[in-house]
Amino acid sequence: MNMPKYKTLQQVQEAIRAGGESCEGVVQYYLSRIEATRRLNAYVEVYAEEALERARRLDARYREDAGSVGRLFGMVLSHKDVICYKDHGVTAGSKILEGFTSLFSATAVERLLAEDAIIIGRVNCDEFAMGSSNETSVYGPTRNAADPDRVPGGSSGGSAVAVQADTCLASLGSDTGGSVRQPAAFCGVVGFKPTYGRISRYGLLAYGSSFDQIGTLAHSVEDTALLLEIMAGPDDFDSTASRKVPPAYSQLLHFDKKAKVAYFNTALEHPSLDENIRTACQALIGRLRDDGHVVEGIDFEYLDYIIPAYYVLTTAEASTNLSRYDGIRYGYRSSNATDLISTYKKSRAEGFGAEAKRRIMLGAFVLSAGYYDAYYSKAQKVRRLIKDKTDEAFREYDFILMPAAPGAAWKLGDKMDDPVAMYLADIFTVQANMAGIPAISLPIGQDDNGLPIGIQFMAPKFEEAKLLAFGKALLSRQ
Amino acid sequence: MRYDKYETVIGLEIHAQLSTRSKAFCGDDASFGGAPNTQVSPISLGHPGTLPRLNEKQVEYAVRLGLALGSEISLYSAFDRKNYFYADLPKGYQVTQDRAPICVGGSLTIRVGEEEKSIRIHHIHMEEDAGKSMHDTEEPYSRIDLNRAGVPLLEIVSEPDLRSAEEVDAYMSAMRQLLRYLDISDGNMEQGSMRCDCNVSVRLKGSEKLGERCEIKNLNSMRYARRAIAYEVKRQVDVIESGGRVEQQTLNFDPATGVTAPLRDKEDAHDYRYFPEPDLPPVALTPEYVEKVKQSLPALPWELYQRFQEEYGLPEYDAGLLTQEQPTAFFFMALCEHTPNFKAASNLIINKVVPYCNEMGMGIADFPVGHDQLAAFIQLIDEGKVAAAAAYQHIFPVLAAEPARAPLEIAQSLNLIQTSDENLLEKLVDEALSNNPEEVERYRNGKKGLMGFFMGEVMKASKGKADPKVASKLLREKLG
Repeated sequence: MNMPKYKTLQQVQEAIRAGGESCEGVVQYYLSRIEATRRLNAYVEVYAEEALERARRLDARYREDAGSVGRLFGMVLSHKDVICYKDHGVTAGSKILEGFTSLFSATAVERLLAEDAIIIGRVNCDEFAMGSSNETSVYGPTRNAADPDRVPGGSSGGSAVAVQADTCLASLGSDTGGSVRQPAAFCGVVGFKPTYGRISRYGLLAYGSSFDQIGTLAHSVEDTALLLEIMAGPDDFDSTASRKVPPAYSQLLHFDKKAKVAYFNTALEHPSLDENIRTACQALIGRLRDDGHVVEGIDFEYLDYIIPAYYVLTTAEASTNLSRYDGIRYGYRSSNATDLISTYKKSRAEGFGAEAKRRIMLGAFVLSAGYYDAYYSKAQKVRRLIKDKTDEAFREYDFILMPAAPGAAWKLGDKMDDPVAMYLADIFTVQANMAGIPAISLPIGQDDNGLPIGIQFMAPKFEEAKLLAFGKALLSRQ
Repeated sequence: MRYDKYETVIGLEIHAQLSTRSKAFCGDDASFGGAPNTQVSPISLGHPGTLPRLNEKQVEYAVRLGLALGSEISLYSAFDRKNYFYADLPKGYQVTQDRAPICVGGSLTIRVGEEEKSIRIHHIHMEEDAGKSMHDTEEPYSRIDLNRAGVPLLEIVSEPDLRSAEEVDAYMSAMRQLLRYLDISDGNMEQGSMRCDCNVSVRLKGSEKLGERCEIKNLNSMRYARRAIAYEVKRQVDVIESGGRVEQQTLNFDPATGVTAPLRDKEDAHDYRYFPEPDLPPVALTPEYVEKVKQSLPALPWELYQRFQEEYGLPEYDAGLLTQEQPTAFFFMALCEHTPNFKAASNLIINKVVPYCNEMGMGIADFPVGHDQLAAFIQLIDEGKVAAAAAYQHIFPVLAAEPARAPLEIAQSLNLIQTSDENLLEKLVDEALSNNPEEVERYRNGKKGLMGFFMGEVMKASKGKADPKVASKLLREKLG
């Protein structure tokens, strides 16, 4: 695998400042990379001309007055196919949104553009972000650049590969149960999910509304922090966005104290955990201790309840979030429909893929009369319990260490016939979404097959600054 | 009559469209009457990635109504999604309050004839309206207008305390009046800003147990509601009397045939899969907020009804009429600031001002004549300068058309000033008596009711200008 040309925005900006590089040059480079890596199927649409034109305009402005450009000058981004960019397509990897163009930009996208980021294209993902392997997309699977016969993880697989394959500097993903962190681990990049409500969800196509959060995939923690700093903050268009004014994360990346880190014994002893990853975790724990941090195993007896509760709650929310895709006002409408009811039935039957249908059915079931209490209410109680238990752990520890996934990237098609096995791939990432806390997946090495391994750290709500600083310290020690 | 054995039990769900400027969960214009699909945005169209945000006015209006009805205001209430598919429901669910409504309990007093009755409120909750579907205009297509999609509604659910169509009518009228007083809804049934579903059941008189109820949907006028209830009560009694059982079902009333009929089974068998709306945090209110809203409440219709009788000494009838619409009541009170004759003010408003405004299609607040001018008008009559009938008939129209002219000046220019000149009047009285010797004879023989006749004669002769007090004094003297 080739090393990325630029690992941070700072490198890009320094190259431009030194002369010999320009925004246009950076975009040209990434466009050539996109061309060279076509077979990975990371991109759904490339905005080549538009990105070049924007780059040229920015270059001209920079030449005129270097101080007039935004903080993301030189930042070339891609966005997951579930994040709205005005006048650009957004289809959630689904046929049901065939040909749909968004009339507005997500709040996060607007803020990035306002700081002069360049968006180079829209990347592949699992249909409506439902999947852990990027195989449920109507555009076909995205392939892992480390081994194109393997999955990149999901659902932000396109984003992970776009960064991994050096086709952009960073990518916007979304994380409902690990959809940023797990593919980041599979592809050897930094994947970050902020606290629920830290970044506005306005313009993010909803899957599980009380879990969804926009996240980033990047090469570095520095870029992760800067992107977060720019996207985060209150938004009138999202009532669930936090009103807390975010700190300047990019200025707070210095971690100089000794951390108290917990890990769950049940996680590291989990039967599903791959031996390579267990070893990598233990090695990391050893290094952390060598550095003077306190790392302790604690009991957490709810690990095995997380996935079932998560799938009850997210599918419930998904089943109604996806009701608007009905073939009436936009998107795909079956040409076989004859009346209102058959328009619904045929458009949705033909428009949604198998996994989306499975989750809609599951969600409709757990919300239906007579089952609500047995499933939905109970799962909510489990969520509350997991939140409480997680908060309790944070009363004593700064971070919780977890594998990002039980194993490394698997072969394409391996888990497509076993949805439960696929769901269990999220076992270590879902907790952060259940509890609404920030979490980061850091690339810490490779397994015996040369596949990337990621390790995850979680922090208390709104402790992104501490988490990112710790992450940076850890990566720079590698 | 076998129907007499039965008592009718009715509960009402009133949907009141709020008169907020923007919609419940986005900034779209919420007003009525725009060209179809012009008051929409990605949010009200349910476009991918959009989210709701709560219109705080909606909350304030709900609290206003709750306070006026004596409800308990929930300091914590929450939204839910009600899931169903329909072409005029862009998101595939309606945002409503199922589990934790904003107002609980309360009551509204209604008057039917001489009787007063308190109707209990079960709860009031906030929700959003759906769009409008127009069928039958271009079969087989339906036209959808999403201007209404997302307009804020309050659903006011009563206890089953109503016993007749008359009570339903009175309840709906009283609720409409209250909504208008609170300035939170125009209560216009024709435009659909107030709609109602009726839960009707019957039971043998004296029975404590409620009968099986049927819900009649979407009654969009009081007349339809009356007819639908009358039909439904008869139908249910007939079912029971013929040995059958009333089945709980949802009915549709067809105004063309006057008949209620079940909605199709499929529509009836809805499982709405209510669950907490994850996109909206719960609504948390402080006691201070509720207190502030309470302080801002206007005088309520029943308070004014009471006050008009007690403080202004009006008869019930006048008080009822004047308080029907808040602007009329306010107009009355403002006029009473300028005149001591409250009853005359009431008469003038009821008999002249309101009919004039109705005819001109204007609100009473826009009536062009100032309160001081109207007070002067009343004074003209009270001081005996102009006869009441002449003033109403001749001066009022001129005053309404030329509001700047002084009523006295109008009276003078129309030559309507009454005369109390005894010499002149004596002459007219004498003429009236000498022209009618037979009547004089009969009067003197005890037919005292003829006084009115003589007064009329004098008035006629004076072209209405005779001061009735002086004229009647003279007549009495002359007739002995």
